[in-house]
Amino acid sequence: MPPIIKDNCIACFKCVEICPTDILREGEGKPVVAYPEECWHCGACMMDCPVSAIKLDLPLWMRPVTKKVKK
Amino acid sequence: MSKTTSTDVLVIGGGLSGCMAAINAANHGAKVTILEKSHIERSGAAGTGNDHFWHWNPDIHPKLGWTIADMVRDISFDGEYGKTKGGYIDQELCEIVAAGTMEAVNNLESWGVQFKYDEIFPWNLQYEVPKGEKKYRIVPQFQSEWDTLNYDGRDLKKRLTEQCVKRRVKIFNRMAATGLLTKDRQIVGATGVDMRTGEFHVFKAKVVIMATGMDQSRLFTAPSGNWFNAQSPPTITGDGEAMAIRAGAEVFILQAGKTTNAGFQYMKNLVRSSGAATTCYPAGRYVNSEGETMIKHPAVREPLRKKRENVETSIREGKTPFYLDFTDAKEEEIAYAEWSYGNEGLCWVILEIMKDLGLDFRKDAFELALEPTGRLTDGFLALWINTECSSNVPGLFACSPVQFAGEVAAPTAAVLGWRSGEKAAKYSKEMEEHELDEKQIEAEKIRTTSPLKNTDGFTWQEVNLELNNIMEKYKRYVAGFNPSGIKDEISVTGIKTCLEQLEKLVASKMKAKDPHELVRCNEVINLIDVAKLMIRAAIEPEQYENSIWFLGKIVDNKPIFRKIPIKIKYPSKEAA
Ligand SMILES: Cc1cc2nc3c(=O)[nH]c(=O)nc-3n(C[C@H](O)[C@H](O)[C@H](O)COP(=O)(O)OP(=O)(O)OC[C@H]3O[C@@H](n4cnc5c(N)ncnc54)[C@H](O)[C@@H]3O)c2cc1C
Ligand code: SF4
Ligand code: SF4
Repeated sequence: MPPIIKDNCIACFKCVEICPTDILREGEGKPVVAYPEECWHCGACMMDCPVSAIKLDLPLWMRPVTKKVKK
Repeated sequence: MSKTTSTDVLVIGGGLSGCMAAINAANHGAKVTILEKSHIERSGAAGTGNDHFWHWNPDIHPKLGWTIADMVRDISFDGEYGKTKGGYIDQELCEIVAAGTMEAVNNLESWGVQFKYDEIFPWNLQYEVPKGEKKYRIVPQFQSEWDTLNYDGRDLKKRLTEQCVKRRVKIFNRMAATGLLTKDRQIVGATGVDMRTGEFHVFKAKVVIMATGMDQSRLFTAPSGNWFNAQSPPTITGDGEAMAIRAGAEVFILQAGKTTNAGFQYMKNLVRSSGAATTCYPAGRYVNSEGETMIKHPAVREPLRKKRENVETSIREGKTPFYLDFTDAKEEEIAYAEWSYGNEGLCWVILEIMKDLGLDFRKDAFELALEPTGRLTDGFLALWINTECSSNVPGLFACSPVQFAGEVAAPTAAVLGWRSGEKAAKYSKEMEEHELDEKQIEAEKIRTTSPLKNTDGFTWQEVNLELNNIMEKYKRYVAGFNPSGIKDEISVTGIKTCLEQLEKLVASKMKAKDPHELVRCNEVINLIDVAKLMIRAAIEPEQYENSIWFLGKIVDNKPIFRKIPIKIKYPSKEAA
């Protein structure tokens, strides 16, 4: 999943400005994910969001596979 | 008339190398303009940060008895590099890079990137400084030498942007350069398309520095199966290489190959390489499914190479899958690795995702993606430069993509960027402004914007996928030759078929529904131009006799190749 924009977004559009793969756009007062399949999951939008309004949810096929070694 | 901007030095690509080039060209009195396809603050491979920087330190290394030559050897004989017959690291450039790393560190530090700390740890190189002075956190990286700085490079690109702005460098963000403008072979500027508006721009320049990065992402099928689940930026697609080829530049081609050992690059599913290598220093171990340690320090590559038999044995004994395991480490060590992950761009995201998924290095081991022996490696193409950072085309300088001048990493980009900035600024002082060729501009405008007008035709994704299919076939055909020594029969007919298929692909019409897609279309067209030269090189099998790389260019639509092996100057330590 590409970024999820949460309610606390203050519409500064910094994320739209800097996204390296150019997938975000301004729409109806909020950032919108215009090209979801081109998200690099690089986290730049999260790093630069002044109010932590972005969450990155990795698609299933990108999730790490882990093994519990210690409880 | 298209919108036109005039400048002395035009830097194409505002990544690490491009910023360094722009800053130093401005330091040498040139009027500088950067074209950046993304946004300069977070663009390129270093966009979200770096955590380690290889360097040669004149205050520390001579005391340990290590010379620049030792550093060049350390890099050149790292893993596969040195073993490839003939080698392919340009030793002269590599010396220049090693010698320039300290200046790069000092510059970055003076611009606010933190390299020195109050606290260093037992696993860092211990050295003396005057009382009260901060120290570098030095770790080994390649074979055995303590040559790499761990540092907080998360906002590296922001600091570089500030320095560009301070020097009044004109920055065009979302401007994808599309072609070089020439007059009687001399470079006189470039063209670009704005990725947000679709507007076509002309840039008039006395000299151009190519800094579009060392990658042809999306040329081959992505190892992850998805173009955008990648270590390198998926939008660095050989634009610079293709522009240079079309302008007559000589390029370096490394043919596809075949690995001789099993290896690891990534955590399973998550393609961000340092997370499973350099960044897990000092405590991430590679263990097999029984929890037995195969490699204690994956970040240090010499043991990694020597301990390969442990990996091969575990594979034979069926003790797979393999894991990156921190669970036995001391808290202090894990905290250090987490600090590094936080600085290492894409790895910072791993930490964030771990929080969401309730994962912890202290408790959970991470499965590694095993790359089996005999895996086919991709081909690679880059500009060929001399030690002045100049290509064979007058007025075209480059810092990245260029032939291998060390590891494909930040120090190489930083030093060659810096150097090309100085050289290009000096060159621009001697140059008059040339008149532009309006016919050439018009043709370029039609070439690079026509997909916007097409209502039928292929999408960029369709063409890109077909290109991947062809290039996977090319890989299978040429891999029989590489590494040299394993001489399967090369199928020239097979490769010719690839080329014919490619020609058909070129002729296909593409459509773009907006400027964003238009830039993606142009990226694929550039990849096809790169592919054509790569495949043409493969048709000349006698080239393989001495090396697996070639120098080639296109003249009057005909590819010409010559073979001058890069001399490995320093023998490996074992051999010396
Ligand atoms: C996640 C990650 C972590 C890394 N960590 C480290 C590390 O810790 N230490 C280390 O030494 N190395 C590290 N590396 C490698 C290092 O970051 C790169 O080698 C270095 O940043 C490359 O810089 P560059 O200028 O050559 O290319 P890039 O940074 O790739 O810059 C190329 C720029 O050109 C732009 N561009 C491309 N095409 C066009 C066009 N047509 N028009 C306009 N602009 C264009 C791109 O948008 C990009 O900004 C890492 C790489 C990655 C991906
Ligand atoms: S950066 Fe954050 S606050 Fe600003 S627009 Fe994006 S999500 Fe909203
Ligand atoms: S994670 Fe990276 S690519 Fe994806 S939206 Fe954020 S900035 Fe863009």
